[in-house]
Amino acid sequence: MSSTSLFERHHFLLRRLHSLTGVAPIGVFLCVHLLTNASIVWGLLNTSKAEHGHAGVATFLHEVDFIHSLPFLIIIEVFGLWLPIAFHSILGIYYARSGRSNTASYAYQGNWRYTLQRISGYVGVLFVFYHVATLRWGWTFLVPGGTKWSAEAAASTMAMVLQGGDSGLTAAGVVVSLAYMIGVSLLVFHLANGLWTAAITWGITISAPAQRRWGQVCAGLGVGLMLLAWSAVIGFATLNVKEARATEQSIRSGHASPPQIAESAPTGSTSIGGGH
Amino acid sequence: MTTAPHLPPHAAEAARIAAANRARAVPGRKVYVKVFRCDGPGKPSRWETFQVTVERGSNVISMLQQIAANPVTADGKKTTPVVWDSGCLEEVCGACTMVINGKARQSCSCLIDDYAPAEGDTITLEPMSKFPVVRDLWVDRSRLFHNLKRVKAWVPIDGTYSLGSGPTESPESQEQRYVMSTCMSCGCCLEACPQFNLEPDESAWDTSFIGAHAINQARLFNEHETGKRLKADRLDTLAAAGGVNDCGNAQNCVKVCPKLIPLTESIAVIGRAVTIHAFSKWFSGR
Repeated sequence: MSSTSLFERHHFLLRRLHSLTGVAPIGVFLCVHLLTNASIVWGLLNTSKAEHGHAGVATFLHEVDFIHSLPFLIIIEVFGLWLPIAFHSILGIYYARSGRSNTASYAYQGNWRYTLQRISGYVGVLFVFYHVATLRWGWTFLVPGGTKWSAEAAASTMAMVLQGGDSGLTAAGVVVSLAYMIGVSLLVFHLANGLWTAAITWGITISAPAQRRWGQVCAGLGVGLMLLAWSAVIGFATLNVKEARATEQSIRSGHASPPQIAESAPTGSTSIGGGH
Repeated sequence: MTTAPHLPPHAAEAARIAAANRARAVPGRKVYVKVFRCDGPGKPSRWETFQVTVERGSNVISMLQQIAANPVTADGKKTTPVVWDSGCLEEVCGACTMVINGKARQSCSCLIDDYAPAEGDTITLEPMSKFPVVRDLWVDRSRLFHNLKRVKAWVPIDGTYSLGSGPTESPESQEQRYVMSTCMSCGCCLEACPQFNLEPDESAWDTSFIGAHAINQARLFNEHETGKRLKADRLDTLAAAGGVNDCGNAQNCVKVCPKLIPLTESIAVIGRAVTIHAFSKWFSGR
């Protein structure tokens, strides 16, 4: 072993950090993030939030406000998300390049997952970069309609990003929404399958039955996350931007919304400003 | 009706298809053998097709012997006999492994009836792609054996004086290790592995993925009462570049292993051992 590159000298540490960062913080964050975003749909069950109009919008706004109330958010973002994601992505691409997919000859389900794990990694890196660049760093030139997402109007601006404007789904909006659909689906698969392989890598699941059982748990988690991811994308892609705006304005002004929008609001309830 | 009660699902399915083909195969029929040929290292490769007569029990080897006796292609061109490697002819030496209809297996145990049951069917033969071709279907598997040396796949008994008798092996442990010991170094697991690829540069062998066969042998000897004296050395190699961490968990190895060795279980066992070994080294220095 004459060659001693950085990768080779710290091979074990880097390999296992790559595995670990995929589980936490990235995997944990993805679960939380999808649960938050899906609140545009499951928030509709939250009838106590309906007084301002759209209960999904109100719930989502509440979740976003909570995240933005966290102290040292930029530190959490940089060290808890951006750096681990960059590390996991760069090493992942480096590792994936050592393999040669052979599903044509060996079309086993496990071999397909091996290949899809790498494809979802490559596509996932591009998708996450587009997602963060457009929504967090404000690269609005990459957004059809040029919408700048803001935490103040989190739901309506998110809907405009996916729909390509504020007057219904445009052709460009369909493209963005489909890209989101494919991007999040591949990332959810990547996490679920990654959790299954991580258990083998670390030597947690040993026997074939143990690997099969853990596989069923991972598949269940994957299906659950997939439903959250799809409901979030479909929820925002079909959200009525004007109704969302009205709800947001009502929440931000601290008053209950006009009666024609807040039909389902319980009568006599008063709103408490601030949202959280 | 299954012939062997303990076959895993993928092997049972393959055996079922083979048995169905065998049942409808007609002796004396003509089939085509399509061979991916190469005259030597660095020489260009080409396909050549031969027509052969199949009898009950004909295998790939007997078809290659038929071709050698009359090396004329199906379109009448005279050519050289096809070269292949073989040893035991009873699926225990691994030498005659080749890629048959796209998948790696031993040619001696491959019955033509299983693969080409009808008149005019074609069976394709290619050399394994993960090892350098010597000629035609004969490959150089040196790297496979080199990788067994990397993990010291042996029991240390050499010394300048008698070491006496070794520790007793329990029957339970012997029984558990038996299947791991049936590995014949054939290379099927490596041929099917997307992480193990042809490496012409020998200096890169020590940092390239070692393969399921070597990981399984490391487990076999780590679990042997005398063999475990070299456990730390083996785990050092398997924790380093090209070791068990480079496994991508496609799990093709266990599907193609002709000896039904639980290779993926061995990979997980070594994964756990390497995890413990690394933490132990970080915290206690050994």
